[in-house]
Formats: sequence, C-alpha cells, structure tokens
Amino acid sequence: MILGLDVGGTQTDAVVIDKGQVVVATKTPTGEDLLTTLRMALENTLRDVETARLNRMAFSTTMATNAIVQDRLEDTGMIVSAGPGIDPEWFAVGPSYHVVEGCLDHQGFEAKSLNRAAVMDAAARIQEEKIKVIGVTGKFSVRNPSHELLIADWVGSSFSHVAMGHRVSGVLNFPRRIVTTYLNAALHGLHKEFLSALVHILNEKGLSAPRYLLKPDGGTINLDKSIDSPASIAQSGPAASVMGALALDGCEGTTLILDVGGTTTDMSVVLNGTPLLKPHGIRLGPFQTLIRSLMTHSLGIGGDSEVRMEERGGLRIGPVRRGRPMAMGGPAPTPTDAMITLDLLKTGNRDSAKAAMEDVGKPLGWDAATTAQRVLKHLAETIAESAKAFIYGINSQPVYTIHEVLEDQKIEPTSVLIIGGAAPQIGGYIGKAFGLPHRFPHHHGVANAVGAAVARVTSEITLQADTERGSVIIPEANVEDKINPSFDIEQAVALGRELLFQQAVRSGAEEKGLEISITEKQVFNMIRGYSRTGKNIRLKMGIAPGPIPEWKRSHYE
Amino acid sequence: MIRAARRTGLVFFPAFDWAISPSHPEREERLLYTQDQVLEEGLLDIDGIVEYRVRPATYEDLRRVHFCVPDEAAVTTESHLISAGGCLVAADAVLNGEVESAFALVRPPGHHSRRVVHGNRGFCNINNEAVMIEYIRGKYGIKKIAIVDTDCHHGDGTQDIYWHDPNTLFISIHQDGRTLYPGSGFPDEAGGPNAQGFTVNIPLPPQTGEQGFLHVMDELVMPLLGKFEPEIVINSAGQDNHFNDPITNMNFSARGYATLNALLKPDIAVLEGGYAVENALPYVNVGIIMAMAGMDTSNVKEPNYDRDYQQQPPEITRNIEQIVVQLRDLFLESGLKTVPYEEGRIVERSRDVFYDTDGIHERQHEKIRCCQQCAGALAIASTSNLGQHILAVQIPVEACTACRQVGLAWFEEGTRGAFSHVYLQDRVRGVYECT
Repeated sequence: MILGLDVGGTQTDAVVIDKGQVVVATKTPTGEDLLTTLRMALENTLRDVETARLNRMAFSTTMATNAIVQDRLEDTGMIVSAGPGIDPEWFAVGPSYHVVEGCLDHQGFEAKSLNRAAVMDAAARIQEEKIKVIGVTGKFSVRNPSHELLIADWVGSSFSHVAMGHRVSGVLNFPRRIVTTYLNAALHGLHKEFLSALVHILNEKGLSAPRYLLKPDGGTINLDKSIDSPASIAQSGPAASVMGALALDGCEGTTLILDVGGTTTDMSVVLNGTPLLKPHGIRLGPFQTLIRSLMTHSLGIGGDSEVRMEERGGLRIGPVRRGRPMAMGGPAPTPTDAMITLDLLKTGNRDSAKAAMEDVGKPLGWDAATTAQRVLKHLAETIAESAKAFIYGINSQPVYTIHEVLEDQKIEPTSVLIIGGAAPQIGGYIGKAFGLPHRFPHHHGVANAVGAAVARVTSEITLQADTERGSVIIPEANVEDKINPSFDIEQAVALGRELLFQQAVRSGAEEKGLEISITEKQVFNMIRGYSRTGKNIRLKMGIAPGPIPEWKRSHYE
Repeated sequence: MIRAARRTGLVFFPAFDWAISPSHPEREERLLYTQDQVLEEGLLDIDGIVEYRVRPATYEDLRRVHFCVPDEAAVTTESHLISAGGCLVAADAVLNGEVESAFALVRPPGHHSRRVVHGNRGFCNINNEAVMIEYIRGKYGIKKIAIVDTDCHHGDGTQDIYWHDPNTLFISIHQDGRTLYPGSGFPDEAGGPNAQGFTVNIPLPPQTGEQGFLHVMDELVMPLLGKFEPEIVINSAGQDNHFNDPITNMNFSARGYATLNALLKPDIAVLEGGYAVENALPYVNVGIIMAMAGMDTSNVKEPNYDRDYQQQPPEITRNIEQIVVQLRDLFLESGLKTVPYEEGRIVERSRDVFYDTDGIHERQHEKIRCCQQCAGALAIASTSNLGQHILAVQIPVEACTACRQVGLAWFEEGTRGAFSHVYLQDRVRGVYECT
C-alpha cells in the first residue's frame, strides 16, 4: 500500500493506493503552515487505513519553493573562483559574496592556482557577518573539483555547512552553478528542520514505511538523501501532475498533458511513456538553477479565472483570479460558472452562475447558455493556442549534429490527456479546439497525488574522461579517478552504469529492474598538430522518470 | 539578470559528426571546447541572446552563387548545406528584426570557395557568406552589402565571387600572401572592370598584434565602410590571427577580436577558419558573442594571455602604418588608377586554380562584358584534371538588357560547343539551367 501526497497552492491532495487501485482520495485545504497542513491531510486520508500495510510514502511539498518566494532563505556566504570571462561579480548572490583568485580552463587544467590568503580573508569576512553556512563554486569545477575541495578543506570547519558546486550537476553553466550552490546552502537548515518535523509527525502516527520526496524532474529521492541537495525538491507540483497522468494513462504515442486547475493550466509532453525534460534547469523565483525539471509550461488561466467582455466585444479569460466562482458566492464570473450554467457541473448556486453568464453576454445579446458555451470554447481555444506555442518552442531547440538535423524529429501530439477536477466538463471543448482525440483518466482529480505516490527514483550522472589528462570525472557521484591512455567508451559506459546504479540505490531506488538510459554519448579525438594525443569521452546517463515497478506490474502486466 | 545591450542571435552548429578526415584541422571537436566555454559562461541564459536552430540550405540556394561541377551532389555533403543554411537562419533573424545582429558559428567554413566549384579548397566547398548574401538580396531586396573578412587567410573565394560586383564591397585583412596560403590578396587586386575599387586587400606582416589590427580598423576599414555606405555589413570572422593558432603567424587575441567586433558592429558574423580549438576559439568566440551583444569584454582573455601574448614589435608597427598610408591613398583618396573600359567591350583573363584539399587542378578562362549599367554578363570556361570541361554563364542581378542578351547568346553558343556541361545562372529570371 502506498501513500501519495501533493501540497498545492489551495488544496492538498492525497491518495492511498492498494494493489494498483486508488482506495482513498482526499482533498484538504492548504493552510498557512505547511506542517499543520501535512498533519491534517494525513489524518483525513489515513482515518480508515490499515497503516501497517503501507510500504511507501511519497510527498510533493512546497517547503523549498515557499522559502524562496517568501524570502526566508538563510544568510549564506559565497566563495567563488572564476578567472577570465564574464565578470563574476555580475553573478553576486546572497549577503556576503566573495570572488577569489584562481582559474581552471575548460579541460580542468589549472591556469592559475587558488589564492589561499584570499580564501581565508573571504571566510573571515563571512564569519564577521555571523553567517554560518557557505557555498563554494568554481568555474569549470565539474571538470576538476580541486579548487572547490581546497576551499572547503581550508575554511569548512568554520561553518556549520558547506555546499559545493560540482556536486550539484555535471552540466556546464557557471552562473547557474553559483545560484544552485547558494540555494543548497541557504535551504540546508530549513530543510533539515522540515525533515525532522515531518519525521516527527510520521513517527507519531506510527508511519514507518520508506519515505520519499518528489523532485521537479518527476522522480523521487528518499527523505534522508535529500539533505544533500535541498533545492532539488523545489517546485515539484507540476511534475506530480505529469507523473500522475502518465501513471494513470500510460501515455502511448505523443501525448499532450493538460492539467486544468483553478488559476493555471499546466502543459507538458510525454513521448511513449517518457516525459520530456527541460534542456536547462528550472527557474525558482528569480533564480535560474541547474535543477533538472520536466518540460512544463504554465498558462495563467483556469476554472476560477475571471471572465469578462472586452469593450470591442471579445471574451477575455484571466489571467486574474478574483476569488471563487459566483455560484459559490465569489465576486466575478468564471469558466466554472459556465460549466454550472450548462449543468455540466452540479455544484453551487446555479441561478447565480446563470446570472453571471447573462451579465457577461448582455452587450452582445447572448443568453446565459450561449455565453457559457462561448466561454468554454474560448477557454479551450486559448489553451490550444498556448500549447501550440509551447510545442513550437520545443521543436525550435537547437541541435548540434548532422544526424539530428537530417532526422528533424518534431514533436506532434497525437492526443490530449486532461487532468484536474474539471477534466470531464472541459474535455469536449478541448478536443475540438485541438482537433485531436482527448481523454481523461479515472481519478483525474487527484492525479497529482497519484503521481507523487508512484514516481520512481530518478538519478543522473555526467561522465567526462580525458585520456590526455589521464582522468575520469563524475561530479555528481563525487568521483575523480586516474585512467590509462587505453580507457575507452565501453569502459566509460560500464563505470557510469555502476556509479549511477549505486547512486540511485542510495537515493532509494529499487535495485531490481533499474532501467538506465544513455542520453548523450560522444567520443572525440584530441589532436596536437597532426597526431592524436588522446580521447575525450563524454557520457550522460540517467534513470528517466516513470512509475515504480510495483505500479507497472499491477497496471501494464 | 544580465541583459544584452543589443539583441543578438546565435546559430551554433558544431557538426559533432563531421570531419574532412580524422586528423584534419577541420574535424569533429573543432567547436567542442567553444561550446563548453559558451555554456559554462552562461551566455545562452543572457536576456537578449537568442539561440536558433539550423536548417539545411537547398541546392537552389547554392545556385544563386555557385556552379558546382558536375552538380551540387558531387561536391557537397549534408554538412556544407547545414553550414550554409545556418547563415540563412542568422540572416532571417536579423532581417526579420528579431535580433539586431547575429553570429553564425558554423562549420565547415566557406571563404576559399569560388564561383566554380570542382571540390574542396582550403577546407571550403561552399561559400557560406555568398550563399547568404544572394539569399538576402533575393528575399529582402537589399542591394549594397559590405563583407569584411578578418580570417588570417586571404578570402580568395569571396573575392572571386564578388570581383565584378560594384554593389558588394569586399575587404580582406589577412597575413601577407607571400607568407601564407592561398598566396593571394595584394593591394593591386582591386576588382574587375565593372567593379574597380570594390575589392580591397589589406595584407599584414606576420606578428601583427592587437595594435596593428585595430589601427587598420580605425584608419582604413571604418572609413572605407563610411564611404561605401552599405545597407548591411557581414564579417567573415575567421579566428586564426590568434597568437595560439598552429597554422598562422599572427599575434591577435580574444580581447582584440572582441574590440574589433565592437568597432565593426557587423549585422551578421560568420565563422571562418581558426584551428587553435582548445586555447583560442573558446575565448575568441565568447569575446565576439559578448561584443555583439554589447557587453563589457574587458575580463575576457586567454588563460595564457599574460604569459604568452607578445606586444607587436616596433618595426611591424611602422610597416603596418606604411601599408595603411598606401591603401588610404589608393582607396580613400582616389589614387587608384581605374581603367575606363568602353561599354560592351569583352575583357578576358585566364588563370589556374589549385584545390589543395582535393588535389584538383583547374584552368579557367573568363569573359566579362564591360558595362556601366550592371555587373556585366560573365562566362567562365573551366577545365579540370578530373576530365570536366564546362562553360558557366552568369547573368547578374538587375542585369541590363544588353548583358542579358550577351549572356543568353554565350549560353546558346556553349550548348553547341564541346563542353561536358554548360550552365546558365540567370539572376534576372531566377533560373538555373544545366545541360
């Protein structure tokens, strides 16, 4: 039995899944305090559940996102080494940011050694400001972490926590590495506190099954391991929905997933069961990070958006949400009122809904039913238009090999899968606006909680081997080893597999049936003059997001 | 968030799966380290720097410029079409107004490719800039275009293509041809009968450094552009003047390239040569992208700059100053002795072309109709040691009636001759024919 819980902006959804079936589904209003909300949602959900049978619990929370948005980050010092390039002062973040002398080139060779006095001075100044945590980031540290390690070694003992850039991701992007390191440091204390409070609640309720947190890439990580990278669990909400839709439907072909909510509509694409990932990292508030995320797009309109008639006679929906629909005593007409007017939704006061629609349609002489139909049609068309731009953006991403140009793989959705409470009401309109077959899964209203419940552990590594330099490095796994000149791609793949496997298991993955995919595999000759001096091998491997084996067994077999 | 002062398009196509041969300088990883540096600097996250996806150019695009012998398929691969196509994407981005300027960081390069193509010369098959320029002229109705070629090697292919065109100012700054491939590019090469003074060659001595290049820019190139008043400026941005380059002898730097670019402010820059793939290209390209985007480049330099960069020797400075004085006199102060050709006269020349990469010898005999109204009808009879003997006739853009008739007559006559192929590139009707 699995518990899945997703904290949303207004509602917290939770499910209990037994033998592949959703046996309990609850909605609890999200309150001011996250832990209180979690406690209430757990109580609502587990009231009649034999909790001893739970063998997995997964949570998609808003802890990190809230801390960032509400500006509750802990004061964090940054020590950064860069060398030539864009002026590193432009990337200054946090209250105490210091650039120290030291430079590595793109191959990881040291061009200028680290200035120890400058590092010690930076640390002293950070301490003077009574700051307890620091982040350490070097340009090209994913090619050679030695400068970051040296800084941590020299000054680490003066601080309660040191976050290091090369551990964040193997991806090259110095400014994003600085920001992500900063967030990992600045969230460390808050995350630790949150974990211990959550564990306390769970223990109190006798819930001892393995615990996971959802990440924005649609994968999970076990609770304890998440302390290494607290920023990596931020903004997991959209991923919860995608993973839920994927789990409930299977998503064969090219599926456009729409999560039509109260204030927003989130969209994403799943290719034969595998969701698309963003090429760079996620954006958290003002921060562009290296945190891997699903490719999602959020449009600011939903069931509770305000509907009004423009002076020139055009309908306009959103992006403002004034409150609840008028049928529920709200202040402004909404698409939900349209659904109630058309008797698609049996809730609230239908007369208020009708009056709201009549009011909107009056300038054009439309009656309530006509207006309601036009509103839903317009809502669907606006979503379809935005989805078109989203897909166009995906298809315009650059490619770097002749092979890819010639193959010219373009994403073209073959169907639309709708989730969210209003999926059945809006489905027909959406299908028509897209000109595509549409469907909505059973439990479409709590798909997000299902997503959190059944998302497997994801993990990724970036391997770079340089036989000239005689080293192989996998920054995410904290591995840097010497290699022979004969080191080849087969050995690299084998090494990568082994380390990825270990890392995934440490993050809580089930060992059996772990599916590793290679997402990038390149070998270049390194040549001086006209002779080969070495090989440059680059690999990216990962465990793609998808449902856990237990769910797959009960659903697809 | 960092913002670009000028919106800049970037078309990056490293062709990670293409090389001339495994150890050739023009090989897979040529732009690998550039990509690493660009990504690590975070340039693509900067608001106002927009990356575009390449598309392949079509044979039709090539046929506005080249005569491929025997046909396009025989002398190009996909990589050439994509590299040229990348330039077309850059051109569209600028001319549609999406960005103020664009940089096509594409390979393979193109500036040694001439109008007639039998194979690969100087790592080039297709002249990317020329294909782009003729596309721009066809699609956007732009007439006056300047090309500033800052590759270390003389841009002899581009010179050949625009030799007769008074609407294209071609300026090449390069290491003196007496010391480097292709051995041409002297001041007396100044354009054909209909375009005298519209080709400007600026050969510089080995060891020319930042000071020399920037002096040439200030005193010669910028005034020349001011005088010509082009609608757009293209930079053939070769990067082999760099002090770390293995196959040239110049002494330029990443910072120098960035400053040059900021002075020139090209509408579109196109990568040409540059083979210090690890210790020059990454920094030069970052410098150029930042300069195009109007960003401060004072912190951009090679990790070995302080140790290895050498100031330009005084005798080289004096030498460059003399060259500049001489060229200013020729091209800015009307010192160039132009020959007044009589309208309708046919001027002929013969020359040999060697394709170093493919080992092909070509013999050309060229005829141009002297004309005050247009670039003139052009016919090139070309024989190669691969057994081809062809005639290529060009009727230029906006050709006058007389030149059109002469061109058509040459083509007619050619089809009755003993050529293996006869080609007609009629830019007035927009057709390309081949027998």
